[in-house]
Amino acid sequence: MPAMIYNRSKILILGFLFLIGIGAQAQQADAENCNLCHGLALLGISGPENSIRSFEVTAESYSHSTHRNVICRDCHTDINQFPHPETVQKVDCSKACHITKPFALTGYSHIEQSEAHLISAHGWNPDYSDEKNEAKPDCKYCHNNEFRNVIEDDALSTSTKHCVRCHEGAGLAGVILHVNSHSGHRTASASIKVVDLCSSCHANESRMNQFDVNLSQVAGFERHFHGKALKKGLDEVANCMDCHRNHLNLPADDPNSSIHANNIQQTCSANGYCHDDATATFAVSAIHSEPTTENNPIVFFTEWGFILLTAGTMALLFAHILLDFGRWGIDAWMRRKKR
Amino acid sequence: MSREYTRFSINQRLQHIFMFVPFIILVITGFPIKFPDSAFWSMVMSAVGGIEMARSIHRFAAAIMIIDFAYHIIYVFHNIFKNRPSLSELYLLPNKRDGQDIVQNLKYFLFLTDERPRFHKFSYIEKFDYWAVFWGMFIMAGSGLVLWFPVQVSTFLPGVVIQIAYVAHSDEALLAFLAIIIWHFYNVHFNPRIWPANKVWFKGTLTEEEMEHEHPLELEEIKAKEGTAK
Repeated sequence: MPAMIYNRSKILILGFLFLIGIGAQAQQADAENCNLCHGLALLGISGPENSIRSFEVTAESYSHSTHRNVICRDCHTDINQFPHPETVQKVDCSKACHITKPFALTGYSHIEQSEAHLISAHGWNPDYSDEKNEAKPDCKYCHNNEFRNVIEDDALSTSTKHCVRCHEGAGLAGVILHVNSHSGHRTASASIKVVDLCSSCHANESRMNQFDVNLSQVAGFERHFHGKALKKGLDEVANCMDCHRNHLNLPADDPNSSIHANNIQQTCSANGYCHDDATATFAVSAIHSEPTTENNPIVFFTEWGFILLTAGTMALLFAHILLDFGRWGIDAWMRRKKR
Repeated sequence: MSREYTRFSINQRLQHIFMFVPFIILVITGFPIKFPDSAFWSMVMSAVGGIEMARSIHRFAAAIMIIDFAYHIIYVFHNIFKNRPSLSELYLLPNKRDGQDIVQNLKYFLFLTDERPRFHKFSYIEKFDYWAVFWGMFIMAGSGLVLWFPVQVSTFLPGVVIQIAYVAHSDEALLAFLAIIIWHFYNVHFNPRIWPANKVWFKGTLTEEEMEHEHPLELEEIKAKEGTAK
């Protein structure tokens, strides 16, 4: 993992100018009093190219985050002295923390997710340059955003179907624990936010060209029923993660992929939670391709057929109406003139 | 008092009502999903009660419309077997006269003649309306049922049928909607010769004056028959 390098001589102690009671709110897991400094607004350092990196952790965001019960150094493991070292490691989400796993009494970690991510399409590819690999989403790209961190009271996913699709191996107890935990912590969010998150890269032309990924996937999803229904708040329809998996998202040609031809039927059915008894024929009917003459000529020409039929019919009908109205109008005008 | 001529029986008028009421409901519950980004249709969807409610209502209305259409088919064939009409008495079938009427009407529109075409029971305009609905019903009900039961359909039809149905349902809906609010509404409401409305869908009868104006050939035939009967 690459280390962050910042020059300590450039530390901005701006925060001390704002010594106001920001840390007053209770910090559940701040046993080591890190917020004495990190609770200060504008505490940060200047990084490369005059960027400023804020080290402020507001009481508000911390106490409302998923990790509010995890003490800082459970994740920031290499911070053992004060002042802190000049270079610090990036947080490794696969490390165990002091939180214990239910029924296991072992330290909780995200190692399963981390390993899945590593071999997924979003993971580290040895053929890519470091720069290119770093442009891929890491844990924090998806999880360190408002949709996981900031709680929105009314945004709780209304459908538990999404939980079960991924946690199908967890068993009933696991599902109950997980659903309970998410509804208690209220960190789950509306399904459409998942699409927004994925679209933040997958609808970005320069990013997708970099990885040679088909840019039309987001647009294709949005024109299909799942995309439209999600926009209209039908939360139970599939979002990106439901079919592509959240961490182990693999390209379609990988036999382990949830969207590989051998597995897609199972994915659509989602253990009977979605399209129960989905047939192989049903499963291969592409859900978000933009039809072209090559990939889907039948649908492409059906679409154009309807466009031409509609335009042609309406043009003829409209012309007829205009002519009819015109004749009536001119007749009426002439009659008036005569009088 | 001028004489009234029966044009549509109560049975036929009810068929029309059971077609257009579901049609309106299907439009207001379907178009918000077709245009998810439109502010107007989003408002309509909120008024309906959200997407889940809209979907239930849409399917209920669709069932009514399909039943109405099926009833109409049975009605037509029942009448054909009962009355054994000759081909020329099946007034809704397009015929050579429609072509002549179109030419005549275009001439009239362009001031090449002052004679409007003299229509029989159904003008080519009305025939178009009728057959457009006929075609539309097959497309909409067929594709709608595929989308309603996609998994079941895929057990006996290829997957591309679901994709075609998705495109066809959405696009034919727009065509039908435009045809109704532009063409049909012009011909029965906004046409200045008709304005504000042709009430025949409700009353079922036309006055002698209306008959002379819109269906002179039919009137002539009725009178001729009465003449020979006397």
